[in-house]
Amino acid sequence: MSLELPVLKERRAERKNAPPPTEDVREKVFEIEAQGDWIVHRVPDDHVEVFTKYGRVKKIPRQNLWHHKSCGQCGHIPGYSTAIFWLMRKLGLAYEDPTDQTSCTAWNYYASATSNAAAQAGVAMRNFGAAYEAGNYPLIHCGTSYGHYKEVREELIHDPELRKQVKGIMEKLGKPFVMPEEIVHYSEWVYAMRRELANLKVLDFSDITATVHPACHYHKLVVEDAIYDRDIYDGQRTAVVTAVVEALGANIGEYSTWYDCCGFGFRHILVERDFTRSFAIERKIEVMKKEANPDVVLTHDTGCVTTLDQSQFAGRAHDRDVGIPVLSDAQFAALAMGAHPYKVCQLHWHNTDNKPLLEKMGIDHESKWAEFEEELRMIEAGEKEFLTWEDADG
Amino acid sequence: MTLAPNTYTDIPYEEKAKLIEEVMADHRYGEHLYGCYECGICVAACPSARFYDFSPRKIAQAAARQDVELMYEQMNDDVWNCSQCFSCTRCPRGNNPGGIITVLREVAVRNGLASARDALEGYGRVVYKIMSTGTQVSPDMLQPNAFPDWGPHVKAISDNVETWRKALPPETLHTTSTAWNVDEKTIIELYLIWQATGVMDMIGEVDEGLHMILEDVMEDVLDEAGYET
Amino acid sequence: MAKDVLIVGGGPAGLHAARNIADIGGNAILVEQRDVLGGTPDEARYAALTPHLESAQDALDEMRAAVIDRPEIDLRLGSTVLESSGKAGDFKVSVAKNGGEAEQLDVGSVILTTGFQHFDPGRETQMYGYYENPDVITLVDAEKMLSKHEFVRPSNGEKPERVAFIQCVGSRDRRLGNEYCSKVCCGIASKEAIEIRKLLPDTKVYIFYIDMRMYGYWENQLYWPAQEEHNVIYVRGIVTEILKRGDRLLMKGEDTTMGRPMEVEMDVIVLSVGMEPSAGTREMARVFDIEKNKYGFIHTPGEPMDPVSTSVPGVYVAGAAAGPKDIEDSIGMASAAAMKALAMVRSAG
Repeated sequence: MSLELPVLKERRAERKNAPPPTEDVREKVFEIEAQGDWIVHRVPDDHVEVFTKYGRVKKIPRQNLWHHKSCGQCGHIPGYSTAIFWLMRKLGLAYEDPTDQTSCTAWNYYASATSNAAAQAGVAMRNFGAAYEAGNYPLIHCGTSYGHYKEVREELIHDPELRKQVKGIMEKLGKPFVMPEEIVHYSEWVYAMRRELANLKVLDFSDITATVHPACHYHKLVVEDAIYDRDIYDGQRTAVVTAVVEALGANIGEYSTWYDCCGFGFRHILVERDFTRSFAIERKIEVMKKEANPDVVLTHDTGCVTTLDQSQFAGRAHDRDVGIPVLSDAQFAALAMGAHPYKVCQLHWHNTDNKPLLEKMGIDHESKWAEFEEELRMIEAGEKEFLTWEDADG
Repeated sequence: MTLAPNTYTDIPYEEKAKLIEEVMADHRYGEHLYGCYECGICVAACPSARFYDFSPRKIAQAAARQDVELMYEQMNDDVWNCSQCFSCTRCPRGNNPGGIITVLREVAVRNGLASARDALEGYGRVVYKIMSTGTQVSPDMLQPNAFPDWGPHVKAISDNVETWRKALPPETLHTTSTAWNVDEKTIIELYLIWQATGVMDMIGEVDEGLHMILEDVMEDVLDEAGYET
Repeated sequence: MAKDVLIVGGGPAGLHAARNIADIGGNAILVEQRDVLGGTPDEARYAALTPHLESAQDALDEMRAAVIDRPEIDLRLGSTVLESSGKAGDFKVSVAKNGGEAEQLDVGSVILTTGFQHFDPGRETQMYGYYENPDVITLVDAEKMLSKHEFVRPSNGEKPERVAFIQCVGSRDRRLGNEYCSKVCCGIASKEAIEIRKLLPDTKVYIFYIDMRMYGYWENQLYWPAQEEHNVIYVRGIVTEILKRGDRLLMKGEDTTMGRPMEVEMDVIVLSVGMEPSAGTREMARVFDIEKNKYGFIHTPGEPMDPVSTSVPGVYVAGAAAGPKDIEDSIGMASAAAMKALAMVRSAG
């Protein structure tokens, strides 16, 4: 027998947002433009409005996006970036994949501290300036770049000396000094477009259960820009990734260490991996296995995919309860929409066995791999130079 | 004065105080530290606290007490354990212990502390990659000897990396020594940023060899592009 | 000139102010938006009063009896104050029965006793799963159960083996904007913990705290007896998160005394929610054009020597409309405000 408590839960229905406890940094961004210090790169008219943590509206541009790529994604899990591009192509939306872009360099900064506020702001503003010059709006692929750029924005707003110094550097480079109106992560675009993406799905994922790992630098670093949604976790956790899983008709598996970091550690993943492995296995993968037994772990950041996926191998040698494939939300959505698991999602770059997942999704991985191997053969034989987008969808 | 045992007795107090003053003078410091009532929320959320003798609460406490000796000890013995995940920013007081650590690390590097040099040993190739190419990781870094704990899959990648990279539909990703294709002009701009912001001097404090190689690479590129170096 | 003192809000402070004014020969109009008197302690069905644990309902009955059927007190239940104009000694106030037509009243002075509301722990910044888990409750929810002399797991009606209180939920939090201590929660949690231990002697009861704010006599009225006689367990360290694990609750935090992270299972977790200004308090600040402090409570510029005068002459405040207050504070302020309000009416007359 459960007891009906006439408690505050009645208020749930009529809950209103309390006044946001933080300043709206975007107002400051526009104030600085009004002072003539920088140009604000405005979100184009073709955008979707979503809600952030404290109930403010955030504009997510639909197209004409300048893809600020992630070095860890492009370098080691390139199906991650490819899937993001593929989703845009599938929806017929214009985008730019620039070569006038550097990494945010924040991975190195958080790992080694061999940089400083001015250099970090310089790198960020150079990239923002390049996007502005190109006339496309920056969409940031990496969770750390996204979090770090928000930190840089705060530093530039609150420190006029730093602003002056970095503006001077941009003048020397001949780049405009530009701050985007909104700093937008690609997973926010996926969230905003989730219904349009779901409309194009060709596979039934109703038997698939996913556990979601929200990226620390997405929802813990400058928290007020992250997307929250009353319909997802009662608005108490970020809604990105989870809302996409639901829209695609798959199931969410709950586990008690969702808030924990993945164990990446920035320097630890490179030079102290015993910590990274232990944390990823003991605090994330094994807990997920025990409490939710999911088919896949989904996350939305470079380091999290790498850590959660690669760390499982050593766990096998120690008879740990591991073995859950790890994908990004973009790869998961692309697979649901019929993307090729190897030509587009490039799952051969991932470590943990994903064949059982593909089988459960209804994907014939053997024939798909054979198709991909034929492409590899043609490249090696010089019959084609590269795999093209046309090949990927062929 | 300190309430804690003094662990670095060979270092004069004035030298420690100078470094801690440098930390406190950082523009970000005031927004990273308010006060600490030791509620422990930061520790509960901290990954490093579960595996190391490390506590973000102690970082905030030492800073709130302005305890030079203790902060100096942490700057040497604790800061490199932090995961920089910023889970500790849940602090109800608005503290950012991870941010305090970022600043402590930066000052440690800038002043070439022995502990910082030790912590960064073996890390030089990563710094070299990011600073010289503008992308931190590249496909050709996936070598079995560098990642033995990731299993035979790393070997499969390194054996096939040339072909696998060509089998990527985005044109910018056909690279092996950088994560994507970065324009020459963009690299030059990046070098100019490093030069203008004193990052090269920081590198020189912790790794002379790396500093020399980077200087050479950058000079060549900038000279050729007509910049005075 | 107007002779009446208008009192807005029929909780403990409003009831006590009305009774005081009548006792010293004045006339009061008491406007209350609910159809019954008693305010939040009545609406939230408080069980026992801190610190002596006497019945809250008995105490309210006594206060209500002191204002009902008194010729000096014009009771207007189910009514709200809509607008106000004029100045000290001569306010024109429109009051309407809920849904009915407004009536103009002439009053010489005003006492606002519109109180507080409990912090909503389901807000976006919290991670306590208050809306998701029926066994995560608030001090107020616990009070309702205790008023019926029972304490069970709401999810299944069973007796809990382990109960935890988490202090400072919605208080002392810069990220929420509620930087103040709500003052009463430590005492109320300790009081409820004692009541649970009396009802369920086999149940372990924990209180997780940052600092226990048991000022004055609460120390040996509540804190020491809770520890020494009732074996309530106090652990220094706050809880960062509550999750469901099986059919129990998993809570995470740091035991700061022992200096290590903790993850423990509980059957019921009580969130010690703090105070925020009520909707009525915010609305009256607008109607009477008085200053609020940065937290939305009514500002009392004369503090510490004058805790009841507001920024508008002739308008006074008592109780938790002016910030976190316990019942003693509220009653004391009500008497002080009654004195000043009546003096204002008489000097103006």
